[in-house]
Amino acid sequence: MLEMFQTVWAIVPMSLQTLIVILLKIVAIVAPLMLCVAYLTFAERKIIGHMQVRMGPTRVGPRGWLQPIADALKLLMKEIVIPSGSSKGLFLIAPMLSLAPALAAWAAIPFQDGLVLADINAGLLYILALTSVGVYGVIIAGWASNSKYAFLGAMRSAAQIVSYEIAMGFALVGVLIAAGSLNLGDIVRAQEGSLVHWFWLPLFPLFIIYFIAGLAETNRAPFDVAEGESEIVAGFHVEYSGMAFAIFFLAEYANMILIAALAAIMFLGGWLSPFQGIPVLEGAFEWVPPIVWFLAKTSLFLFCFLWFRATFPRYRYDQIMRLGWKVFIPITIAWLMLVGLAVVLELPWWFD
Amino acid sequence: MLENYLPVLVFLGVGMAIGVLPIAMGFLLAPRNPYSEKLSPFECGFEAFEDARMKFDVRYYLVAILFIIFDLEIAFLFPWAIVLDEIGMVGFIAMAVFLGILVIGFIYEWMKGALEWE
Amino acid sequence: MTFELFIFYVFATVTVASAVVVISSRNPVYSALALVLTFFSCSGIWMLAEAEFLAIVLVLVYVGAVMVLFLFVVMMLDINIAVLSQGFMSYLPVGVGVALAVVAEMALLVGSKYFGADIIPPPERHVAEYNNTAELGNVLYTVHMYAFEIASVILLVAIIAAIVLTLRKRPLTRYQSPEKQVAVRREDRIRVINMKAETEE
Repeated sequence: MLEMFQTVWAIVPMSLQTLIVILLKIVAIVAPLMLCVAYLTFAERKIIGHMQVRMGPTRVGPRGWLQPIADALKLLMKEIVIPSGSSKGLFLIAPMLSLAPALAAWAAIPFQDGLVLADINAGLLYILALTSVGVYGVIIAGWASNSKYAFLGAMRSAAQIVSYEIAMGFALVGVLIAAGSLNLGDIVRAQEGSLVHWFWLPLFPLFIIYFIAGLAETNRAPFDVAEGESEIVAGFHVEYSGMAFAIFFLAEYANMILIAALAAIMFLGGWLSPFQGIPVLEGAFEWVPPIVWFLAKTSLFLFCFLWFRATFPRYRYDQIMRLGWKVFIPITIAWLMLVGLAVVLELPWWFD
Repeated sequence: MLENYLPVLVFLGVGMAIGVLPIAMGFLLAPRNPYSEKLSPFECGFEAFEDARMKFDVRYYLVAILFIIFDLEIAFLFPWAIVLDEIGMVGFIAMAVFLGILVIGFIYEWMKGALEWE
Repeated sequence: MTFELFIFYVFATVTVASAVVVISSRNPVYSALALVLTFFSCSGIWMLAEAEFLAIVLVLVYVGAVMVLFLFVVMMLDINIAVLSQGFMSYLPVGVGVALAVVAEMALLVGSKYFGADIIPPPERHVAEYNNTAELGNVLYTVHMYAFEIASVILLVAIIAAIVLTLRKRPLTRYQSPEKQVAVRREDRIRVINMKAETEE
């Protein structure tokens, strides 16, 4: 069997071989990601359920474990309604435009030392550029639907996303100054040492601002005015049904996981063990593969996403804009200058 | 350098395909029986009136314009951040002046009330 | 034909085709989206020229910011499409004239004896570790510091111009200011007065 495979493989031309290897790697990233998205929705319902003293879904499968599969099948069997007066082509392209960047950004994410699909120098810049493209899905969906709720939701959402992108960009620059590289792998390696070498400590305000801006970028509670049910029903995707809606849903959750993974990489040392540099514990936990730490840190942030949704009441729109422009931007600029000065003066022990 | 970007290009294509595939499947598998009531835009039970694409507050444009300016500023910060080690104090002062001038603009914005969302 | 050349021609074709759509589409929203595609494929071409930083910044700034503004404007201004598409024929001669002039200029430049692959060799390919961003950073903030500071002044002018041109105060809108709400004290709102108990007569 293996021999037969090898002979067939040898016939395949070189360029096609590389392409097949790349495609297989992409599948190895996307398939688990999709599964994560499915079970993140399940976790969301369970965790928020328990926080509100409910059970969450329990019916489908043992303890409700097959619920996301059932949801996906249900959405698949639902009619895709294309409203009259909408721009058909744009209406169907919009979900695609929001999903493609949310997935492609994963190309630059290192899961472990050396375990990255595209080890590009400008990794962080690439991710920032792709996430900024994600706003098109929202705008086009809102405009193409020809519905007032969708249009209002899209405009609110777009203005909110671009406002918080600035705060997020400044926070990222802080990480770059401290790490001295755009490559995400190098950023993690720059945090080597111990728990206190991770960037959350010297960049604490930027860390908090990055995560809050991440909440706002993904339109999650408490910044979910774009789809505030009580005001504009569902916002930009009110006219979407069936699989077209499912794609938006997928994109939102893939983005959430991306923000969480980036937070883990930039501020909590990515795949580095939290017990590094601690005499006994470091040896005791040496058997744990590094990727486990990375996934654990990502899950921690994802839990925060759900926890915040269950805890905080929704912000009002003017408060959201005020927070983004008048609070986050001044703080980030000031902190950037401080960190820059620390790097130039080579202050120990993060910046030497 | 370019070989590192090939997976990125392929991934963008795959991302698009993953967006198209479920919708195509939805069209194949799901029932389709549209009628005019179902296709009318959602309006809380009202008949839909006028075009939904309306004029909008100029404030949204202002946010978009200011966003472009700050986005450019961030683009300038990126190369600076990664070579700060090498260019040292000279580079730091250059950026301090750059940001200082832009902070003047930011203060002007603030004082003029352009950041006020009423 | 190498694979790289193939990719280049794909990007080049998409760039030209979408650029044609930009000027020929009747719906301005489609035009704007075609322009987005043009920028994207341009960024691909820049990437092939190993201008990594510029290619990604083109997407970040033009696609992620400038075109968002364009879309905002085009979508919300209620532009009358019929009026826009009028006068195509009357502008045609001018357009063709300009296009011919540009073609002539390009022919003069490209066809001259100072141009061509044998005179200007293609730049060397860089190794995988080549860091375009750092190269830029090393010169931008030191050698070209003056131009860099001028850029910030231009941005400052842009901020001020944008505000002066678009900011309109509307005195009738009512809004709450959270800091005032928080700063409220009990004495401002409640007055306890002593009243004589009412008795039935």
